[in-house]
Formats: sequence, C-alpha cells, structure tokens
Amino acid sequence: MGEKAILYDGSKCTACRGCQAACKQWNDLSGEKTTNRGSYENPADLSVDTWLKMEFKEVSRNGNGSVAWLFNRRSCMHCTDAGCVTVCPTGALYHHELGFVAYDKGLCSGCGYCLEACPFDVPRRSGNTITGAGKMDKCTFCQDRVTQGLEPACVKSCPPGALSFGERGELLTQADKRVRALKAVRDPVTGEALYPNATLYGNTQLDGLHVLYVLPDSIDKYDTLPASPKVSDIVIAWQKYLQPLGYGVVGAVALGLLINYMVARARMIQEKEGK
Amino acid sequence: MQHEVERFKLRTRWLHWMVVVAALTLGLTGLFLYVPQFGAVAQDSVTRVIHRIAAVIFVGAPVLYFLVAPAASLSFLKKVLTWGKDDLEWTKAAPDYYFGGDESKMPPQPEMNTGQKLFALVSVVCFIGFLITGIIMWAFKGQVSSGVFNVSVFVHDVCFILGGAMLLVHVFLGAIHPRMTESLRSMITGKVSAKYAKSHHGKWYEETTGAGEVAEESPSGTAQG
Repeated sequence: MGEKAILYDGSKCTACRGCQAACKQWNDLSGEKTTNRGSYENPADLSVDTWLKMEFKEVSRNGNGSVAWLFNRRSCMHCTDAGCVTVCPTGALYHHELGFVAYDKGLCSGCGYCLEACPFDVPRRSGNTITGAGKMDKCTFCQDRVTQGLEPACVKSCPPGALSFGERGELLTQADKRVRALKAVRDPVTGEALYPNATLYGNTQLDGLHVLYVLPDSIDKYDTLPASPKVSDIVIAWQKYLQPLGYGVVGAVALGLLINYMVARARMIQEKEGK
Repeated sequence: MQHEVERFKLRTRWLHWMVVVAALTLGLTGLFLYVPQFGAVAQDSVTRVIHRIAAVIFVGAPVLYFLVAPAASLSFLKKVLTWGKDDLEWTKAAPDYYFGGDESKMPPQPEMNTGQKLFALVSVVCFIGFLITGIIMWAFKGQVSSGVFNVSVFVHDVCFILGGAMLLVHVFLGAIHPRMTESLRSMITGKVSAKYAKSHHGKWYEETTGAGEVAEESPSGTAQG
C-alpha cells in the first residue's frame, strides 16, 4: 500500500469546525472551557484534549480596509523527517507503514522531548511537574479508522469537502491542479486575479508531510506554517552525533582500562616471580 | 601491627557512598532514555520518577555536607583547583607506574594526586552541568524555549558521557587496579597504612604526620601498594 495523506483545501474551508468536533467525538476527548478572545477561534491552543483546531486569521485584502479570513487547519503534520520520532527515547513514536506518525501511548515515558523537537509545536503532554510522570498526545491520523479502510474522522465530517483523504501521490496531483485553478480565478468585474499567491504546502517540507495544504494566499501569511521547517541542529547533533560518540568514548575508556589491568597484572606477576 | 593513618573522615565516607548510590541510580535510569534498546523500561514514567528522587539525593548530600563542614568543603575545592609543576611530572611518569609499576619517577603527591584532582575537577564540572540543565528540564520545561531545552538535554548528555567515562576510571583505580590495594578499603574504614600513604601521597603524609617517621618502611623502589 502506498502512503496516505490528508489534503486540506483552505480555499474551500468555511471554518465550521465540524472537524474539530468530530475529532473530539471519535477520539473521546473532553471539551475545554473556552473564553471569548474576540475571535471565533477556540480553544486558544492545542492540548492533550484538542488534537485539531481551526485557526481564524484576519488579513487586510487589497489595502482598502476590507478584511478577509484565512482559515488554517492546525494539527500534527505527520512529517517524513519527523523531529518527534528522532528524539523519542522509548520508540513510542514511529512511522506507520502508511506514512503517518503513530505512537504507542503505553510506551510513552512522558519525557516531553518530542514537544521540544517538533518544528510545528504540535505534541502536548499531560502530567505532574514535580514527578515528571505523564503522557504525550497528538493527532493519531485516526489510525484505528484508516487501517480499517475508513477516512479520518475530521475528513468524514467536513461539509464543504475541504478535507480529503487518499493516496498521497494522488492528492498531490489533485492539490497541484487546484492551486493552478485558484491562480486563474479572476474578479468578474475588475478582471483582477483573486488568488495570485495561491500555493501548495507540505509537498517538500521535511521530506514531505502527510497533511497537504492548498493555501489561497502565500505561506508567509500563515503564522503556524513555516516556509521551510527543519528539525533543529541541536537535536540532530544530539541524536546523530553525540549519542553514538558516547558509546565510542565509554567503549574506548573501558577497553583502555582492560588493557591497563592486563599489563599491570602481568608485570606484577613477573616481578614476583623474578625476585 | 601496621601503623595506620586516617584518610577519610566518617562524614566524607558517608558523602561518598550517598553520592555513589545516587549517581549509579541516576546513571542507570538515565541510560533507559539514552540507549534505544532499553527505552521500553522507561514507559509509564517510573524510571523518570526514580531519576528525580535520586537527583535530590545526588544534589542534597553535597549541599548537606557543605552546611555541616563548610571549611572542609572549601578546602577540598581549593585543592582541586591547585595545579602546579608536580602535576606535569606526575602525568609524564604515570603511564610507567600504572602499566609497569615503576614508581621511581612519580613526584611525591599531596592528599589528592593529579589523577584524583582531575577526576574531582571533572566531577565538579559535570555536577554543575547536571544541576543547571537538570533544573531546566525538570522545572522549566515548556517555559524555556525549545532551543534552551534541547541544549540542556545535549549538555546533560555531555556530562553523562564525560562523567561516566571518568567514573569508570575512578572505579577501576579505586577498586580494581592491581596496585591500588588500599583505595577501596580507605573509603570504607577511613584508614590507610602508613606505607601506602607515604608511597602514594608523600607530601600529604609528611604534612599530616610531621615527618617521614614510618616504622618498618621498606626500601624505596620495592614499595608496592
């Protein structure tokens, strides 16, 4: 089976947040008390109980004071080069054969390394600050559904069809076509291009995300979509170089001590016999 | 009966063994997050909770020691930081002694010889590294930036590798090396024989006893120990 992906088309999204509700309903996540922060966007952030949330960003369009909404789907991106999988010490986080980033919650030690290694700041952790005991949670890609041939709950719920699920390759083609179509859309009166900066996101980032985006505006308009996200250098230095170096250093020292022991002991025996 | 001199006070031995228990517990529980093959042991946070309890002992014991014996603590730190020409001589002569048993070129050493000072220095540096980064990871996770957190883990790991490698050397020289016959005993009973003290820590022996008046001293060159 090929790799699966979710495609989010921001130009079709109405931010009804049906996906947000469906995610909670399917995954049995509690609701959170929200406050009016002057936006429809709620709750304020992802949490162990909110694995998916819609962002409502207000932007000024064509400089005449009119406001437009840019909606954005914020959840785990299921990266190919996933920082969380790189740092997870227990192997709780792993790449599923369908491409997405799955986790075995039973194995999670609650260390929280993944929270700090994620370039998108997505995983969240419950737990006790004093003891450190806790568990990480994030979007599971509805592993229990997709491995049974169903689409993820968010996709299932989406009324305007802004979310689709399928083979990643096919979705990329579909997304590409959609971006080109958006770029061609013109205001019927003025003839002005309405989405000149429409773009595709997730095709190349971190060797390919398993959540793809059709964005009606340029990437820099989206606060939580870095144009070129990367796993931080210090994480790479720590995982790829320092830890193997540790085995080398300790191994070399142990070997040196063993040699020292054998030589020193042999000399002592020689001395005893020689005198 | 052989003449003996006191090398470690009771409180010092207590500190040592408390730190040993804490450090080994920390090292073992830390290893579960370091070696992927052991990772499964860390599930459900049990080893991480143990790690934190051990950390409190690891930091608490030296702090308590400092409060009980501030003068001795400061004098220890001063000794660790005092380096001179003898240390160079010692370093040059050390391989001949530790491999071949040739003690003739070893300069007389104070209470801590060059190697012991080096170990103590690395221990102090690693201790500070563990302490600062440990506090950040324990209490300020989520409050500091990801960069600061990841650097903390990195430094914690560096201290683990450096401190762990030095600890191997320390355990080896203290308890395993065939010529270090009295090291381990001295950390348990607090005493070493005068002969051992004179050959391994000549300067210190003279300072503490006033002179080299050792009964039944063996001729130099055959001293082993």
